Amino acid sequence: MNNILKELQKDLLHLPRTHPKRRAVAIPAMQALQAELGYLDDAAIEKIAQITGLSTTEAEELATFYSLIYRRPAGRHTVRICDSVCCSMRGADQLLTAAEEYIRTPLGTVTPDGALTVLPGICLGLCDKAPAALVDGEALGPLNDASLKALLQRLQQKD
Amino acid sequence: MEALLTRHLDPVAPLNLVAYQATGGYRSLTSAFDLKPEKIIGIVEAANLRGRGGAGFPCGLKWRLRGADAPSPRYLICNLDESEPGTFKDRYLLYGGPHQIIESIIVSAFALQAERAFIFVRGEYAKGGNALNQAIQEAETAGLLGTNIRGSGFNLQIEAHLSGGRYICGEETAQINAIEGKRPNPRHKIPRPSTHGLWGQPTTTNNVETLINVPHILLNGADWFRELGVNGGCGSKLFCVSGKVKHSGLFELPCGTPARELIFEHAGGLDENRALLGFLPGGASTAFLLPKHLDVPMDFDPIAKAGSRLGTGSIIVLDDATCPVEVTLNLMRFFARESCGFCTPCRDGLPYLTQILTTISSGSGRADDLALLDELCATIASQSFCAFAPGAVMPLVSSLKCFHDHYEHHVTTGRCPFNEANKNGA
Amino acid sequence: MGKIMLDGHAIPFKLGDNILQTALEANLEIPHFCYHAALGSLGACRLCAVEITPKDSGKAPRVAMACLEPSEDGLKVSVSAIAAQQVRQHVIEFLMINHPHDCPICDEGGECHLQDMTVVCGPPYRRYRGRKRTFPNQDLGPLIHHEMNRCITCYRCTRFYQDYALGNDLGAMRLRNEVYFGRFQDGPLENPFAGNLVEVCPTGVFTDAIFRQHFARVWDLKTAPSICPHCSVGCNTLPGARDGTLRRVRNRAHPELNRWFICDRGRYGHQYSEHSARPLAPRVSGTDTSYHDALNAAASQIKSTQDCIGGLGSTREDLEGNAMLQALLNNLGGIFTAFSDPKLETATIAAVSSLQNIGNAPSLAEIEQIDAALIIGDLTAHAPMIDLALRQAYRKGAKLAFLYSSPTPLAQFATTAITVSPQEMCTELSRLYQLINAQSAAEDITDTPMTDIAASLMGARKSLLIGAIETMTSQEVSTLSKLATALGSDTKLAYAFSGANAYGAALLSPTGSAVAMLEAVEAGQIRILIVAGNDPLGDSRFGTRWRAACRNLSALIVLDCILTATAKAADILFPVAAWTERGGTFINYEGRAQGFATVFHRPEYLPNVARVITDLAQYLGHSLQAAPSVLGDIFSDFQIPKPGTTGSLITAPSLPMPATASAHSIQESCNSTWQAALASWYGDEALASFAPGLMALTPKTVAMIEPTSAIDAGIKNGSKIKLRGSSGSMVLSVRFNQDVATGTIAIARNVLVQLGVGHGDSLELEQVL
Ligand SMILES: Cc1cc2nc3c(=O)[nH]c(=O)nc-3n(C[C@H](O)[C@H](O)[C@H](O)COP(=O)(O)O)c2cc1C
Ligand code: SF4
Ligand code: FES
Repeated sequence: MNNILKELQKDLLHLPRTHPKRRAVAIPAMQALQAELGYLDDAAIEKIAQITGLSTTEAEELATFYSLIYRRPAGRHTVRICDSVCCSMRGADQLLTAAEEYIRTPLGTVTPDGALTVLPGICLGLCDKAPAALVDGEALGPLNDASLKALLQRLQQKD
Repeated sequence: MEALLTRHLDPVAPLNLVAYQATGGYRSLTSAFDLKPEKIIGIVEAANLRGRGGAGFPCGLKWRLRGADAPSPRYLICNLDESEPGTFKDRYLLYGGPHQIIESIIVSAFALQAERAFIFVRGEYAKGGNALNQAIQEAETAGLLGTNIRGSGFNLQIEAHLSGGRYICGEETAQINAIEGKRPNPRHKIPRPSTHGLWGQPTTTNNVETLINVPHILLNGADWFRELGVNGGCGSKLFCVSGKVKHSGLFELPCGTPARELIFEHAGGLDENRALLGFLPGGASTAFLLPKHLDVPMDFDPIAKAGSRLGTGSIIVLDDATCPVEVTLNLMRFFARESCGFCTPCRDGLPYLTQILTTISSGSGRADDLALLDELCATIASQSFCAFAPGAVMPLVSSLKCFHDHYEHHVTTGRCPFNEANKNGA
Repeated sequence: MGKIMLDGHAIPFKLGDNILQTALEANLEIPHFCYHAALGSLGACRLCAVEITPKDSGKAPRVAMACLEPSEDGLKVSVSAIAAQQVRQHVIEFLMINHPHDCPICDEGGECHLQDMTVVCGPPYRRYRGRKRTFPNQDLGPLIHHEMNRCITCYRCTRFYQDYALGNDLGAMRLRNEVYFGRFQDGPLENPFAGNLVEVCPTGVFTDAIFRQHFARVWDLKTAPSICPHCSVGCNTLPGARDGTLRRVRNRAHPELNRWFICDRGRYGHQYSEHSARPLAPRVSGTDTSYHDALNAAASQIKSTQDCIGGLGSTREDLEGNAMLQALLNNLGGIFTAFSDPKLETATIAAVSSLQNIGNAPSLAEIEQIDAALIIGDLTAHAPMIDLALRQAYRKGAKLAFLYSSPTPLAQFATTAITVSPQEMCTELSRLYQLINAQSAAEDITDTPMTDIAASLMGARKSLLIGAIETMTSQEVSTLSKLATALGSDTKLAYAFSGANAYGAALLSPTGSAVAMLEAVEAGQIRILIVAGNDPLGDSRFGTRWRAACRNLSALIVLDCILTATAKAADILFPVAAWTERGGTFINYEGRAQGFATVFHRPEYLPNVARVITDLAQYLGHSLQAAPSVLGDIFSDFQIPKPGTTGSLITAPSLPMPATASAHSIQESCNSTWQAALASWYGDEALASFAPGLMALTPKTVAMIEPTSAIDAGIKNGSKIKLRGSSGSMVLSVRFNQDVATGTIAIARNVLVQLGVGHGDSLELEQVL
């Protein structure tokens, strides 16, 4: 368990069961745990419930709402390609198709080597770099078929 | 006009506290602490600073309506969730200069006598959020945050909340739920969040761009600020231009600058000098405007009069090689996907619209589909629970009007007039 | 009071009500889904669209949601306006996009709110040409069937489950048109009120899984107003039967008791009446016989005896049955009591007596309004709906304080919770009494939990003292009643009795008659015992003695509708009608007499207890008056309450407060350091324990011990221990639990029975290696 989680757990230890803070830290706790695990499996949801004092169902209600909380396995590197209006006008749809063909794994799943998850995402706030992508949280764009392939290749080789 | 809000932004190496102070940063605290909170609100009101988050609500009025006697604790939320397609101005502010944000929150919170402020940062901007946290720590260490700031007797604590990621989290009340750790569905706005917001306490939400104007208004006065605008607009405005233009980007210009100047001067005109088909003036949830609107000042009231909304001031440009049906379909997919699922018209109506548009775009639309779309949009726009769905159908309703011939053509010929080649790769 | 104009009619409204509430109050329907009287407005479904014209402004009419618009004087509202109709039609069309058109096989058929609304608002024939979104379902346990594709996302289920019943294992997952109502993982819903989802859901997402096993179309069900027989709250129910079998039980609103909801025991406990082992034919010496032959056999046994006869009624037997049995015994010169457990008898009589002195127990609606409560023991199992009423008080900010020996689910909402072993409960209550009586609690500087309780009770506007009688002694009852007196008239007193008619049973049972009867049977002075709806041989504390004593009998005559230990041992057994198969009267915890009607008849001849006793009397050559006049003699001016009415408080002669014997006289010989405490759960009740669906949820049988006292005794969590009581021993595994009092072992009722110990009795413990 990483330090952020330990801190949170310590903070909550003596708070009453219904203290509002228990809910308020649920998302930060999930983000911290996901940073460690890559995604939240059922055991991770149980862990979150244990730390916050929420029930597993309450934790799941939150976890399943958000697009950046992954309840399915993710690769060591995630590439979110924006498919919203500006990027789409500038070729995002073709990029996504190209990426899927290149990694030969459906979007949103993990490549067999565990290296990559490529998935479409909503507007990343990178419309001035369209078509853009967020690669492990880092903004990239504009991309084209060639630069995307090079990127994916590089990521696959990195660990 | 000289850049005001973006002057000291540096996305590569944002100014640290000392460097920021060297540019005159945090000077507004002195002006603010010398004034009574009501006085500051009065100045902001006189400056006619309108909200930059989309709705354009007058900031000073919002602050005043909260009431000076609102019970403690009082909260201020700085909305940095920016997820409106076409909008990226807040990203520049976050990555380029976190101290500017902190300064503006301190003086705004002082005006509101709020003892706790939250900055709700878009999840995708996590890196910027980290830098912001560091800046908050710097400010804390320097005594700019905490108790009795600079001997003013004013206490303030700022926390950055990193969103789990969803467009609806930008909506004021959904954001309050998100911060509380509840499912971010919007709340009914009676009682208003200004009196019953975070944990039932008085809460004021402002877009980050709105807030960063406040220090300048305090330092230079309301009149000065109003005069920054042109064509009747007030103040400086961050405009985003993207889509089929040569140089997409962020441009700080006087509020009221017409779209023509933005698109053709600052963004360098359209790709391959194509003809302009139309544009969204304020982000994805605004109505399309046509070339004939190019000279309408990009300001709240004139754009509203032209039938759209200034929104976030983010222009998305369509050229004549772009199929407007396809673009509208993309927008509707976005909204259907991001609906929080709380109310029926939004949750089930938007996928319905998307489905009809899909059939039209793929050539199997029917003649009466266009009337059906209009009919459904009327209910969705007027009867949804929050402002998400009305915003969502705005581009569709306007698109049906502005580009009627294109729709007709799809339905009658069963084909898209823009062949694949025209759809333009990257 | 103002009026709104609803389609031209002036409708008065209560201040603070919205338009929808105003209309519904006046019995005018505005289509709606997410609004629910108990759950309030949400504004999510958007079906309750109406056209509103403000009174005196030139503003154009606008369409708005009736559930979110406050009623204002002179407001013009139109449900029929075309614009509003159009919105409602669209909303229905949206909701039907993904709804499976599986109405022919849907359990909700005939009472589907969605279908009704679709017909009322449209019918909008399908225009959507796309594919439907589909969901997988979850296994939510034996009681509730899940069919998510039918969901219309009105959030009623989670609002009931999380907000109202305070459960946390059902939630809304995901978003957009994929919002999913379910649990984190498959598994039975844990909340004791989960069954209400079946009624709260306006369509067929949550349906009654027990009903489903033996389904009938609802319009084919025979129904009649009934009263739940599973505890002393007396919730009003509407059972439904078909072809001579009972299929389901639903809530029937009572304005002061259960309004919209009942507990799962009340909803699913009815399976006892369809249990495969239910006695349906009279039996003499183990062989089935005719009703006539059984009566003859019983009559000849009675006629042939010179000895005294005992008549043991029951707290779950109706007023008529008990009174007739008592009348017969009066005629025969025998002893009558309704209690097989002398301790329970004195405690119950003490409780009824103190209620008579202090004032009636509050209704459920009143309990919801209190702002402080002291709760002795577990209410979730002993009076589930009082638990739910206290959850409502808690939601409004009431402070709940607990003194308890074994885990009780409600304590999770406690402001102050103190575990107290059964044998110390009385002392602790006396301490509290002294604190309050001395009026010193407020100033007391030692800020102990007990002073907190005293302070919160003394500071409350309306407070409640309530205890579960089964786990209380008469001394505790009398101390609690002294406490109530000391606190004054803003304090209400209530007890969760053991048995739907325990209050009525106490009114008929002279103090001390249970012990007199037991001793007379033990001494061989009583040689014939007639038991109606009671199970002395299955009693935890006195079962051993009763079993030994009953060997002295020449005839054990039993009348019952379930196969209890006593019924099994009967020499002559009269199967009687179950509660839905006969009419009768129960007196609930408030002292409210409520009538229930015959819902249906089974093919077998199943008389009620009063009928069997009347017939038996006739065979003996006595003629008894009919039950109403017998009751009229006992309770002056008593009118049998009509089923379907709200019932009325019974006026009865005051019961004397029983003299208090020394607290633990029963087992003084045993010098063990451990005491037993009843670990109750909401399915645990005599009738309901014959309901297979509920019983499938029985918690694992373990011995729960408080960790520190366990560790002191060298006992490890998960280890095995052997417990020994007066009638046997049992090996159980240990489960540490903070909610058990020191020195106490909390065990389930069936374990108590097997060991032959009652709540508060001593136990011997031996570690098993
Ligand atoms: C669906 C939806 C999304 C929104 N997203 C944002 C957002 O990302 N950032 C923002 O500042 N305001 C957003 N808003 C507007 C906010 O609700 C709120 O009006 C605004 O933050 C107030 O700030 P302002 O008065 O300074 O403009 C959104 C509104 C809606 C209905
Ligand atoms: S609370 Fe009691 S009376 Fe009411 S439904 Fe439950 S068991 Fe029946
Ligand atoms: S997102 Fe649900 S109605 Fe607004």
